[in-house]
Amino acid sequence: MQQALARQLLKAAVTNSAGIAAILMPTLAAPAAMTAQPLTLDGITHSYGGGLAVDNVTLEVKGGELVALLGPSGCGKTTLLRIVAGFIQQGNGKVTIDGRPIDTLPPNRREIGIVFQNYALFPHMTVAENIAYGLAARGESREVQAQRVEEMLATVQMARFADRKPKQLSGGQQQRVALARALAMRPRILLLDEPFAALDKNLRLDMQIEIKRLQRQFALTAIMVTHDQDEAMAIADRIAVMSQGRIEQLGTPVQVYDEPATLFVNNFIGSSNLLNGQVEAAFEDGYRVALANGAVWSVVSKARFEPGQPVVVSVRPEQMLLADEPAPDRIPVTLKLSLPIGGELIHDVVSASAESIKVAIARRPGISSADMALGGTGTAYCGLADHARPALFSASNP
Amino acid sequence: MQRSTFGDVTYNWVIGALAGLAVLILIGPVLIVIATSFTTSQTLRFPPPGLSLRWYGELFDPVRSAQIHTAALNSVWVAGIATLVGAVLSVLAALAITRVARPSARFLEASFLSPLILPTLSYGLAALMFFSVLGIRPSLNLLIAGHLVVIAPFVFRTTLASLTQLDPVLLEASANLGASRFYGFRRITLPLIAPGIAAGCFLAFISSMDNVPVSLFLSNARTSMLPIRMWGMMESTLDVRIAAIAGVLILATLVLMIVMDRLTGLTKRMSG
Repeated sequence: MQQALARQLLKAAVTNSAGIAAILMPTLAAPAAMTAQPLTLDGITHSYGGGLAVDNVTLEVKGGELVALLGPSGCGKTTLLRIVAGFIQQGNGKVTIDGRPIDTLPPNRREIGIVFQNYALFPHMTVAENIAYGLAARGESREVQAQRVEEMLATVQMARFADRKPKQLSGGQQQRVALARALAMRPRILLLDEPFAALDKNLRLDMQIEIKRLQRQFALTAIMVTHDQDEAMAIADRIAVMSQGRIEQLGTPVQVYDEPATLFVNNFIGSSNLLNGQVEAAFEDGYRVALANGAVWSVVSKARFEPGQPVVVSVRPEQMLLADEPAPDRIPVTLKLSLPIGGELIHDVVSASAESIKVAIARRPGISSADMALGGTGTAYCGLADHARPALFSASNP
Repeated sequence: MQRSTFGDVTYNWVIGALAGLAVLILIGPVLIVIATSFTTSQTLRFPPPGLSLRWYGELFDPVRSAQIHTAALNSVWVAGIATLVGAVLSVLAALAITRVARPSARFLEASFLSPLILPTLSYGLAALMFFSVLGIRPSLNLLIAGHLVVIAPFVFRTTLASLTQLDPVLLEASANLGASRFYGFRRITLPLIAPGIAAGCFLAFISSMDNVPVSLFLSNARTSMLPIRMWGMMESTLDVRIAAIAGVLILATLVLMIVMDRLTGLTKRMSG
């Protein structure tokens, strides 16, 4: 009897201490252990004047995830970002953070951090004043402001520049300040509007790593808007490819690159060769396709096609090869041009049916043209590499 | 080193001569009036037969120049209050107009600026008739109201110009960081448009100080204004104190200009 009671007590104590630990943990390990909050867009629709800018977009961003909205200008990605920030009131649909709708909140009460495209630093204030701005607006004491500013400056490695004006900083430094200013408010969500567009190419990779690091460190749920597929591929956990106000495909960078859902996604992400053909026959997990240039390829596809249907086959340049020997699945081509681009050699070749095809091959040191690689005949046979995953699209429905 | 051709030399001569002529026409009268103000003579005559400070002494004599002092104080008071009220109204109007894209805003903008184009003389007469129909007697407050209409557009125009240069994204950033609209106005908008407001106030104050048409119609013997008083003295006595007043006004304007440059220069440096 007594023993049972003791066991009961012990059990309660253990459960309790676990509970206490759970409460203490986030404070002890802050900010790394702050809980990331999911963001949900539910059926967002918005139109300007007559045109539909955002058309029934639904998107769930998991807590701590970085989703890139990728698309050409005018695809609705910026409108979507401004709706989340509260600068635009959407015509229809719901935005929720951690299950709570935020649609009725004005921008200044949404607790969403933004890094603006051109940083939007306050030109008449120093770096420190910029970072303290939100805290001052909230009425925090000078001590709290100073402490947070110091902490944020250290986080973005800008401590030496506290007293500079934005104009005295380089683009990368300005972006660090913009990040620090947003993060100083401990936002629930971080929005990045074309964050790397204004940066030098060499600096981009550094800042991409920096933003990814901070986003992880602060456990931030983030949305990045960009028209640059490389940026999106580099730092996004998932990419939403947008066109004409809709999400064409949502997936990991590898998914949208390797398995584009539509011809638009295929063409927008990476470069590809589009070859016309006709479905000859279906087999278990794909189709045999007769290309207009004479070659016959087996293409894996989950989509449904009828025999005889005109199709477009898309192959990435790096999934093609050039060979000396002919074969039924190889296209006879003439070499037009070879460009040594870094570690790759890009060949521009033309088939008998006047299709221009790009073939990218890993370049060996010292080699700068295909003539040397192929023994100087000028004619070659272009085919699929072993690892190639060509994609199949209906030709009538581009 | 490149040798200058004949064309270069002639060009330089012609441009130099034109510039010299312009400077002569612009600065000559100022120099003449200043020189005359230091004359020993009883009359406004150039060149002065001898130099002295006697007319400045006369001008600052509290008894003999009491009427001039009253007129000067009236002018400064009217210009000061009209500028202050005009600045507040103009900034508010400019803020509203930059925020609204409707055609009605463009119409309002044009009408707020119209006093700059309308003949001030007509306005002075119209104001006099309007106020006497309403039964309002001439007073300093009436003068302030009259000047306000004519000088407020100066502040309105410069404020509007600096507001259109203000990047609206800065205010979005302010709101995004949790700041209220008013907080954003106080800490972002106002500091960034302050040089524009100051420049407009400077122009407005100067323009009120030497406004003749409105003062001519709206002032009476009790509310005399400096330019009107000067004209009166000119007509009746050819008093040399007029030259001394001109000298003081030129000096005051110069000082104001330097102060303005310092202030806006300072704000420029503050804004990076």
